[in-house]
Amino acid sequence: MSTSPLQEPIPVPEEGQPITQLGPREWARQNLFRTWFDTALTVVFSLILAWALYRAGRFVFFTGRWEIIDRNLTNLLVFRFPRDELWRVWTGLFVLAGTFGVAAGSAARTRDQAVAEGRVAPPEERLVLRRFGPVLLLVAVLLYFAGTLSAFLLTAGVAVVAVAARFAGYRVPPNRAGWGFAVGILGLVAAFTVILGFGGVGWDRWGGLMLTIFLAVGGITISFPIGVLLALGRRSTFPAVRVVCVGYIELIRGVPLITVLFMGAFMLGFFLPPGTETPSLETRALVALVVFTSAYVAEIVRGGLQSVPRGQIEAAYAVGLSPLRTTALIVLPQALRAVIPAMVGQFITLFKDTSLVAIIGLTELLGVSSIVTSQPDFLGQGLIFETLVFAAFVYWVGSYSMSRESQRLERRLGVGQR
Amino acid sequence: MRSTLIRQLAIALIGVVFVASGCNLGGDDDDDGGEAGGETQTQTQPGQTGGDLLQTVTSRGRLICGVNDAVPGFGFVTEGGDFEGFDIDYCRAVAAGILGDPEAVDFRPLTAEQRFTALQAGEVDVLIRNTTWTSSRDGSEGARFLTTTFYDGQGMMVQADSEFQELEDLDGATICVLSGTTTELNLAAQFEARNLDFEPLSFEDNDPLQQAFQQGRCEAWSSDLSQLAGIRSNWPDGEGGPEALRILDVTMSKEPLGPVVADGQEDFADAVNWIVIATIQAEEFGITSENIDEQLNSEDPEVQRFLGQPVEGEPFDPGLNLDAEFAANVVRAVGNYGEIFERNVGPDTGLGLERGLNALWTEGGLHYPPPYR
Repeated sequence: MSTSPLQEPIPVPEEGQPITQLGPREWARQNLFRTWFDTALTVVFSLILAWALYRAGRFVFFTGRWEIIDRNLTNLLVFRFPRDELWRVWTGLFVLAGTFGVAAGSAARTRDQAVAEGRVAPPEERLVLRRFGPVLLLVAVLLYFAGTLSAFLLTAGVAVVAVAARFAGYRVPPNRAGWGFAVGILGLVAAFTVILGFGGVGWDRWGGLMLTIFLAVGGITISFPIGVLLALGRRSTFPAVRVVCVGYIELIRGVPLITVLFMGAFMLGFFLPPGTETPSLETRALVALVVFTSAYVAEIVRGGLQSVPRGQIEAAYAVGLSPLRTTALIVLPQALRAVIPAMVGQFITLFKDTSLVAIIGLTELLGVSSIVTSQPDFLGQGLIFETLVFAAFVYWVGSYSMSRESQRLERRLGVGQR
Repeated sequence: MRSTLIRQLAIALIGVVFVASGCNLGGDDDDDGGEAGGETQTQTQPGQTGGDLLQTVTSRGRLICGVNDAVPGFGFVTEGGDFEGFDIDYCRAVAAGILGDPEAVDFRPLTAEQRFTALQAGEVDVLIRNTTWTSSRDGSEGARFLTTTFYDGQGMMVQADSEFQELEDLDGATICVLSGTTTELNLAAQFEARNLDFEPLSFEDNDPLQQAFQQGRCEAWSSDLSQLAGIRSNWPDGEGGPEALRILDVTMSKEPLGPVVADGQEDFADAVNWIVIATIQAEEFGITSENIDEQLNSEDPEVQRFLGQPVEGEPFDPGLNLDAEFAANVVRAVGNYGEIFERNVGPDTGLGLERGLNALWTEGGLHYPPPYR
């Protein structure tokens, strides 16, 4: 029925058409049981897949002893955060939902305007469920374990606020693009203030998933601009700047993250001016993660900078742009667009590397997972498997969501298409 | 012309950077000296201004206690996010004795590698984190070990239906241990001394180790006796329950565990030491957290003196720079030694330990408090 693609690669629509019209039986015959070898592979791998699914399903739904997660959910999420101060975390979540909703709505409006004016190709229709599926699954799992009406109502409240704020943000005039971004940053600051300020809870009581997210988000947002500056510095024509940047990047890249964390934890105090109070362990861990990641970000950005053709810069100079504006308006946008996949890969790595802070005595998600098995009720029953599976699920949701968002961003910016 | 100018400028700049960093390094050294003369003097110059840390803790109003967050019975985090355990109770006891409030503690979980660095750097006031008292730790880690709160030892656990009775029977056996602990080293030394062979199988965590033991990948499991007892009493019923396991009657090492402070904090060390002794003394006197208020009116002058009640008009002050009623505060907050033991690791708890060496000297144990007078 279909001709070999090697012989006729050109007429794509003609080839694409019949495939979509195949019935499921025909599709299976074409793709799974075409030759005896295909058939054998299909059978063998279906059996392996079915067995794996059966074992996983049996563990998740029947043999898994999830009571330890059920009773330690608050520990896994915020660890030693004082229980009567939890309203601060919820308030922070509401603030973030509101401000990020406004930011997203304003961005959507700007994008739609651009599409309407024909400046940007319309984005593919994507299902909301597919984009937010893993996060929704995580929320559902958390609510199942929480099992209280108040947690459900508060979560629903956060969702309602987020959606309402998005529609409110959509009404903002589209030419105020920076406005939504500013609101997002303001929201982050406000959320931190609610938790930390006004007699709030210091960083030494942060832990669990909250600490993981704090370290990851903080690390990503701070290391990105530093990394870009380092990359630009490395390409600078001014030797002193170049030497310092190259020295920094190569020094940090030559050292394992664990070493940087240990240095941050135990030696940062020696580099600070006298009289200053030694910053908290959380701050030191964050500094170490930023110091480490920014060196890698710098090398990724440098790769992007090198992919921008020299002609672009010369053309920018020719129309009279200053070097600074050339970099900001011509070079960096193209360079950063080209390195989105590598950059997001680095950020996913950072997200998972936050688990290493356990070695300097911080207790983030993975740390909590391994120490709750020391509680008297759960002693010596091998429950580490349940807690580790839970932690792995949370890490997967975070990493997969980041990866999906980056694919979305790539599609929208047309990476690999133009 | 222009490029040579830039090059010269650059070289000058690099020079400035190096000089500046050199200055900074030199400055750092000076800073250390300066600091030593100020806040942290007690750490570097013992004796001269001893008691500084005690004053620091008192004026701060909080005690910072270095603890372990994953030792069953000794230090762990409850579902409510609070620290609990035998060592944790001693942190609370110290806070109650010095500050009068058992809740005035900040717990700082520390890893085994970190603990002495954190103590020396002054990040924690006291380390109560199942730390074995050894000569080299006392000597070269700048640590000062105080009265032992728990006498532990290394033991060996086997399946109950095996024929192993003593260490000699385990010649050539595979033995499961946790990696990176003194347990591993003790095991090697003990077998070496008896000229026996064994195959170590090391694990990072107890859970995978337990699985290996259940699957029969190793014949014996070596760890601290307190931990082995806890594991045995929680052995899953599906595997035969506690009866399926037997702990051999050998103690392969001495593990005295107790609070540790940094060298040179004389007054603070004395205070912590006597707070620990007070819990043991209270048990000897029969003072508990329940009968403490009756005991305040005791006829016994020794008890009166111990609880800081006026004897012939004046409460007794031993000169420890502590409140005269510190012992009463400690016992009211956490109870006496026996109560702390029973509550956290005793027969009714998950660990289910007997007193053994940890009984009072009057009952054949090792706890022998110096007289309070």
